[in-house]
Amino acid sequence: MKSMLPHCNKLTLTLMLATLLLSSHGAFSQNEASTGSSSVNLGKPLLTLEVIDSFVEMRTGPGRGYPIFYVIEQGESVEVLVRRAGWYEIRSQNGKVGWATPAQLSRTLQATGEPADLPSVSFGDYLKNKWRIGFTTGDFSDGQLKGTDLFSATVSYRFLSWLSVEGRVGKLFNSQSEGDIRALNILVEPFSQNKLSPEIFIGRGVLSLDSQPEQTASINEGDSNFITYGLGLNYYLGRNFVIRGEYSQYSVSTDDDKEKLDSWKIGFNTFF
Amino acid sequence: MENRFQYILLVLVSVLAGLLGLSSIANAQTADDKSQFAVGTEFLEIGLSLGMINIEDFPSETATGIHFTFRATEDYFLQLNYMKTSEVSTSTFEEQGSLTSVSGSDREFIHYDVLLGYNLYQGEFFSADSKEANLSSLYLVGGVGETEFRNESRFTYTLGVGYRVAFKRRYIVHVDVRDYNHKTSLNASGDRVNNIHWSAGVSYLF
Repeated sequence: MKSMLPHCNKLTLTLMLATLLLSSHGAFSQNEASTGSSSVNLGKPLLTLEVIDSFVEMRTGPGRGYPIFYVIEQGESVEVLVRRAGWYEIRSQNGKVGWATPAQLSRTLQATGEPADLPSVSFGDYLKNKWRIGFTTGDFSDGQLKGTDLFSATVSYRFLSWLSVEGRVGKLFNSQSEGDIRALNILVEPFSQNKLSPEIFIGRGVLSLDSQPEQTASINEGDSNFITYGLGLNYYLGRNFVIRGEYSQYSVSTDDDKEKLDSWKIGFNTFF
Repeated sequence: MENRFQYILLVLVSVLAGLLGLSSIANAQTADDKSQFAVGTEFLEIGLSLGMINIEDFPSETATGIHFTFRATEDYFLQLNYMKTSEVSTSTFEEQGSLTSVSGSDREFIHYDVLLGYNLYQGEFFSADSKEANLSSLYLVGGVGETEFRNESRFTYTLGVGYRVAFKRRYIVHVDVRDYNHKTSLNASGDRVNNIHWSAGVSYLF
């Protein structure tokens, strides 16, 4: 257990770094525009768009179940205030504030006459240079740790529409032992513009095992390095939400031998 | 075992510190790097909760919790939860059974999990004396995590239902009921146990 402390520090450092990177990326940028209670003015003009579609429907809330209370006509201008998951808060020329879908707002023009630069509909290009966070869970289906449950939190960054790097920090449990698992993977997803998109990955990491109170069998306590590789299948349920199934193999270096482990997992991830 | 708790706390505190630092840095930044316009974003929630956990075969205890929610789409969200109790008092089951006695932090019930949430019914809530509509949602959550109690660390399935109302645009009040289901060696039969957690809390959206 003592040997975990250096890892704690490493982990903390990694998380700190990750969050700092996120902030420099402006991922959670905050600007209330003029609608919120504590308005923050960034000294930037609001994005103003001209409606070129026949109309834009305004709803009372950011969801398809909320009623439409106003319709903006063709030729009118709207100001874009706040973005929430799947919705934009907009203000009409005569001061009405409501919510509209990106699909409707994409058929608008900027003041310069250019089409509004809102995220397009395909997945791959849009997800380039995006962060992804989520979690994954499953179990080991073969090897010494057969039947062991595991889950991990994942953070990844997509450099190109088909290439990303992913960090995982997780835990594993069975009746005899429990442990930590950390890995760094490289993911290749060649057809990321599709709704259903396969990927391959390879990576390496560290597995640390510890005994449970009722442990009877002998386990390899302490840290072991491993190499992992596998196949995944992504299903993009929304524009930035993906369900991911994966099969992976681990080759764990123990004191005198290499131990092979198999694992099936399911994960839920979101891009931002 | 204490190192383990420190480890979890360290991770959570660093995530929290990172997020707080991040929001302040983000304030000084552009809302969207690619745009010269100011479009705000509201995706992340941080919240605190207070509630009661009914630990199977053991007494119920007051539980405090912290959580982060990331709103992925209109329908789905991801949530990271951490909750703990103070030292759980001794149960009759424990006194009559053959369990070794533990004390101090080993008697604390600690649980954390990662959940997928689904907004089942979204709507508007009108409080009696207000003309303002407050956005509300009845949601389901499910996921996995870890429960630590009496030296045991267990892989835990979480299932739950909750209701939230945004009384102010960014302040959300919510009530939750969640079941933590895990194996245990503490009872004679070694069965799975269900620990029901009731809680109410407030979140801040940013």
